[in-house]
Amino acid sequence: MISQFFILSSKGDPLIYKDFRGDSGGRDVAELFYRKLTGLPGDESPVVMVTTGGRRHHDGRHFIHIRHSGLYLVVTTSENVSPFSLLELLSRLATLLGDYCGSLGEGTISRNVALVYELLDEVLDYGYVQTTSTEMLRNFIQTEAVVSKPFSLFDLSSVGLFGAETQQSKVAPSSAASRPVLSSRSDQSQKNEVFLDVVERLSVLIASNGSLLKVDVQGEIRLKSFLPSGSEMRIGLTEEFCVGKSELRGYGPGIRVDEVSFHSSVNLDEFESHRILRLQPPQGELTVMRYQLSDDLPSPLPFRLFPSVQWDRGSGRTTLEPKPRPVSLNVRLHLPLPRGVVSLSQELSSPEQKAELAEGALRWDLPRVQGGSQLSGLFQMDVPGPPGPPSHGLSTSAPPLGLGPASLSFELPRHTCSGLQVRFLRLAFRPCGNANPHKWVRHLSHSDAYVIRI
Amino acid sequence: MTDSKYFTTTKKGEIFELKAELNSDKKEKKKEAVKKVIASMTVGKDVSALFPDVVNCMQTDNLELKKLVYLYLMNYAKSQPDMAIMAVNTFVKDCEDPNPLIRALAVRTMGCIRVDKITEYLCEPLRKCLKDEDPYVRKTAAVCVAKLHDINAQLVEDQGFLDTLKDLISDSNPMVTLSEIASLTAGTCLTALNECTDGGGQIFIPGLLANYTPQDDREGPEVSICERVTPRLSHANSAVVLSAVKVLMKFMEMLSKDLDYYGTLLKKLAPPLVTLLSAEPELQYVALRNINLIVQKRPEILKHEMKVFFVKYNDPIYVKLEKLDIMIRLASQANIAQVLAELKEYATEVDVDFVRKAVRAIGRCAIKVEQSAERCVSTLLDLIQTKVNYVVQEAIVVIKDIFRKYPNKYESVIATLCENLDSLDEPEARAAMIWIVGEYAERIDNADELLESFLEGFHDESTQVQLQLLTGIVKLFLKKPTETQELVQQVLSLATQDSDNPDLRDRGYIYWRLLSTDPVAAKEVVLAEKPLISEETDLIEPTLLDELICYIGTLASVYHKPPSAFVEGGRGVVHKSLPPRTASSESAESPETAPAGAPPGEQPDVIPAQGDLLGDLLNLDLGPPVSGPPLTTSSVQMGAVDLLGGGLDSLIGGTNFVAPPTAAVPASLGAPIGSGLSDLFDLTSGVGTLSGSYVAPKAVWLPAMKAKGLEISGTFTRQVGSISMDLQLTNKALQVMTDFAIQFNRNSFGLAPAAPLQVHAPLSPNQTVEISLPLSTVGSVMKMEPLNNLQVAVKNNIDVFYFSTLYPLHILFVEDGKMDRQMFLATWKDIPNENEAQFQIRDCPLNAEAASSKLQSSNIFTVAKRNVEGQDMLYQSLKLTNGIWVLAELRVQPGNPSCTVRLSLKCRAPEVSQHVYQAYETILKN
Repeated sequence: MISQFFILSSKGDPLIYKDFRGDSGGRDVAELFYRKLTGLPGDESPVVMVTTGGRRHHDGRHFIHIRHSGLYLVVTTSENVSPFSLLELLSRLATLLGDYCGSLGEGTISRNVALVYELLDEVLDYGYVQTTSTEMLRNFIQTEAVVSKPFSLFDLSSVGLFGAETQQSKVAPSSAASRPVLSSRSDQSQKNEVFLDVVERLSVLIASNGSLLKVDVQGEIRLKSFLPSGSEMRIGLTEEFCVGKSELRGYGPGIRVDEVSFHSSVNLDEFESHRILRLQPPQGELTVMRYQLSDDLPSPLPFRLFPSVQWDRGSGRTTLEPKPRPVSLNVRLHLPLPRGVVSLSQELSSPEQKAELAEGALRWDLPRVQGGSQLSGLFQMDVPGPPGPPSHGLSTSAPPLGLGPASLSFELPRHTCSGLQVRFLRLAFRPCGNANPHKWVRHLSHSDAYVIRI
Repeated sequence: MTDSKYFTTTKKGEIFELKAELNSDKKEKKKEAVKKVIASMTVGKDVSALFPDVVNCMQTDNLELKKLVYLYLMNYAKSQPDMAIMAVNTFVKDCEDPNPLIRALAVRTMGCIRVDKITEYLCEPLRKCLKDEDPYVRKTAAVCVAKLHDINAQLVEDQGFLDTLKDLISDSNPMVTLSEIASLTAGTCLTALNECTDGGGQIFIPGLLANYTPQDDREGPEVSICERVTPRLSHANSAVVLSAVKVLMKFMEMLSKDLDYYGTLLKKLAPPLVTLLSAEPELQYVALRNINLIVQKRPEILKHEMKVFFVKYNDPIYVKLEKLDIMIRLASQANIAQVLAELKEYATEVDVDFVRKAVRAIGRCAIKVEQSAERCVSTLLDLIQTKVNYVVQEAIVVIKDIFRKYPNKYESVIATLCENLDSLDEPEARAAMIWIVGEYAERIDNADELLESFLEGFHDESTQVQLQLLTGIVKLFLKKPTETQELVQQVLSLATQDSDNPDLRDRGYIYWRLLSTDPVAAKEVVLAEKPLISEETDLIEPTLLDELICYIGTLASVYHKPPSAFVEGGRGVVHKSLPPRTASSESAESPETAPAGAPPGEQPDVIPAQGDLLGDLLNLDLGPPVSGPPLTTSSVQMGAVDLLGGGLDSLIGGTNFVAPPTAAVPASLGAPIGSGLSDLFDLTSGVGTLSGSYVAPKAVWLPAMKAKGLEISGTFTRQVGSISMDLQLTNKALQVMTDFAIQFNRNSFGLAPAAPLQVHAPLSPNQTVEISLPLSTVGSVMKMEPLNNLQVAVKNNIDVFYFSTLYPLHILFVEDGKMDRQMFLATWKDIPNENEAQFQIRDCPLNAEAASSKLQSSNIFTVAKRNVEGQDMLYQSLKLTNGIWVLAELRVQPGNPSCTVRLSLKCRAPEVSQHVYQAYETILKN
């Protein structure tokens, strides 16, 4: 049971404040939350916090929050509830608000205060969850979203991914994917569109001797539909797709994942035989399928990195060798350096690369890397060694504390590490008198934590 | 002055402008204006002045505008109750609007306006809406009943809304039923589980399932329930997954470990838990806290999944630390190499907090996995070589622990440690180092120099270091008496003469005297063999762990504290424990260690069923099965569920739901729910009477004549584990009394006020206040005569008054006073016969069951029952707050015309017997 819900901006200003039970100490609870959050010692978790001491009114109040697009979405409760359901509810609310207001952000929220309150009223009554289905809510919501920029199809040239929060967030969400799902009923015709993304996050851990310690891939198939609800669609996956260690399909090596879970609205009648998912998605965003794969990856790792470090002069050569096929974007190598390093000299293999020192670490940016190439960078720096006789300094061959591990972040468009592809996306829906709906199917892998120890 | 004038006008201007717009004829303009008003409301501006204007906009057929107005009303009605009344007519009218959306809106809003006056207008429309043809309206109305109940419970009952709610349970629309929360009973639950697709419902229903506890200990239903729950493990919603995990964890407790199915379940539990770790960090953290519990209970579930707990460099710090903790818990001989390699990597990272914890973790590994100790020590030495200050200090602290675990094994490293003496600046590390030097003084050549160097700044050290230094030097002296006499005198005089710290001073004197009177004894004391430190120091205590396992997926599992520790007032909080293991699976275990509810089968004939049901209600150890579907009892238990007040979530977390496992036939299901619902609202009182012990009526303790007009009467109560003194203060003087305070003299059981006496307003003449003063039993103790005498001083602005009163001993009977049978027998034999006291309680017409249940509510527990020659013998145990056990044998003769009950008491402290007997008498006769 929820006592209050509020949205705070990243600076702690309340954007939305709703009290469901009238049993709370009023809106300074929001301020209290922000104070508590910012005053928390480093090793304590901010996810679930309880107020103790202080004014009687706020005692025993639990704050549970998530951060989404720079906003704090917070609920408070005074009972021993399930934090999972509250967290799920919060992220569901974030999606809902995104669906209704276009995108979630400080601007959109403050432009749509009335709409947000209206939504909250329907989702939660007296602190009890009523419904969170976009479909169901559609019947009750009257207010229209205020959108800052009119939507135009020309923006589609640079369509980004709506869901994937990549490392650098360089892929700005285009306005196509960030307009409200359910706005003006007038220009229905314009937006018969479906976006289907296969997004994989890759975490890799490579030991200093080059052996692979851990690989895992977390994949998602996400759908954002602007079609009228109830229109059926079929998504065909790679036929060699198999789940679990034992299953084998097709003649090739197969595309294997460890675990799959589907959204409850997915009909799996044809999944066993033809790897086809059937569903009637509601308007809005939906994670159709989640899967994960660990340890044995069918394709070789997208990058190999050969760092070599010489300590007598404080120089290191790093060679980056991407695998043949994919083109990778926004590659960045991040290498924490020992404290006190100030100067850096560099030799890079191409002019568009950039390397700099920032926050005690080396940052080597490679905006675009062609598959199959080899890139190298030689960096030299002076490390202020510990005071002492020089003979001591040489004898310790171990690198000083604070160097490494190197981490890579990158995006691989049109590539999935598991090899899973969407074969087709078919819509049963025929719009009356209109052109065929636009379908956008995209594949992308990006790094979650790609770490090479030195 | 002019400035402020401008300021107010501009401010007014804004409001005026809005006012004008609100009164505009154009709908669009009005709508925009209300939106602006709401926007300013959100940022905290006061727009209450516009109340009448906004309310005027209510009369519209535009739904959007209407909703906006309602939104405004909800926010301001409380501060402007008179104005809100203006809106009531519209509310009532809107409740009959042809549009169901408007009807629902009106009902919802009226419920949210928490103004007393509005409630009387609310009843009629609410009644209509509860019977509305539209499910959306019905659902909204149902929630509204709950809102109304919070404002005015009596009204809800008087108006018969409860009966209407009961009818709604059979509503055909699932959304209504969901709101009807009460429909979520175990019976319907199992079947509904497979059909329910609505997001909200899915979160809640499995939560209920977890609370569903089987009464039947045949193997069949457990396995079948587990099988029905397992598909939920791959659900997309983590709350559902965790509820399913909780159910399975509970059921596994009852499954025999050698069953194949047990192994299958173990395998099935791992993947969903691993999957949770790929969620966003907030969920990950909550999941990790739960996994931490699961791993402590059943490490075998995740023993092969070590890798998923490896820390990612971009994890938030709180996730990292939690993962680290779980890694240690999973560490075993099989994977220790892998774990150590990881930990060593972590120890070279940048984040100081994390590095410290990683170094500590290496030490914990050494202590936990003996085979790895050597490798851990060498890893730690490597880390010390880095000379990074905090790494070195942290390493020294853990090496001290390793020395304590494996004495005389790794002392070769001491030399390396001593090299780093100068860099230590944290008290914990300094203390650890001093301990090492003192403990191994005979192997360190310059131990005296090392310790002497610390002595220089003795008074600037923290207490921890000072104490350690004192002990360390004394140890050194005992080992090398010849060279260090001066040093030891120096430290003794520093500790005893120049220190203000009593701990330090006392320890100093003790050493001094020991050394001066009997050096041999001193050696035996100071250099005694130390017990080895235990495997893992931060394991959660088993009983708490079992309780927390029952709370998987709730806040309790995140805090690792039982809900009673953080949920206000303990409302709806009941203690939970895992169901007892079946006898077959735990045959190796000795009966003493078996959980409180001993294996079923040997019990029912010994212990009265009634008493046990009550016991279940009180401490809810899901004891023996009760034959047949216990309709009457389940209604009581339903009552204990704070359905609407605590809500769905409290259903998930806070209650034990007991019902027959086989899907009950609808007819029999109706009964418990029905009676449950009627209990639903008077919950607080219900629980109070159930769990509290007997309370004597208030007696006058301090007559007004003796206390310048202040009359005090009072009584003692014990409720759910806490003692309080209920006082009634009456001012019979002619002047106002203020500044009340209370104090107790030292007494036999250390009773002391746990909070100051709070009289909020001054007490005016002829006024009476009732105060419940919580008491603790941690005060200072002095034996009183009589034993239960309590001397109290009360102060007010007039004077200080003294009085004394006798408290009934049963307020000191604690909730965990039930002794296990074997224990009871052994203790009874063990206590010498001269400690036995015999009493008679006359005119007590109770039979054994009634007596037992009556006594149980005052925490006198029946351990066993026997029938000898027509007499019922009850064997009972109770425990006092200071840990004294009292064993009793109660002899009840049902046919005896004089209705005499005979009581014999055995206790190691015979002086309490008389008072325990008095407690028995009061409880039985009232």
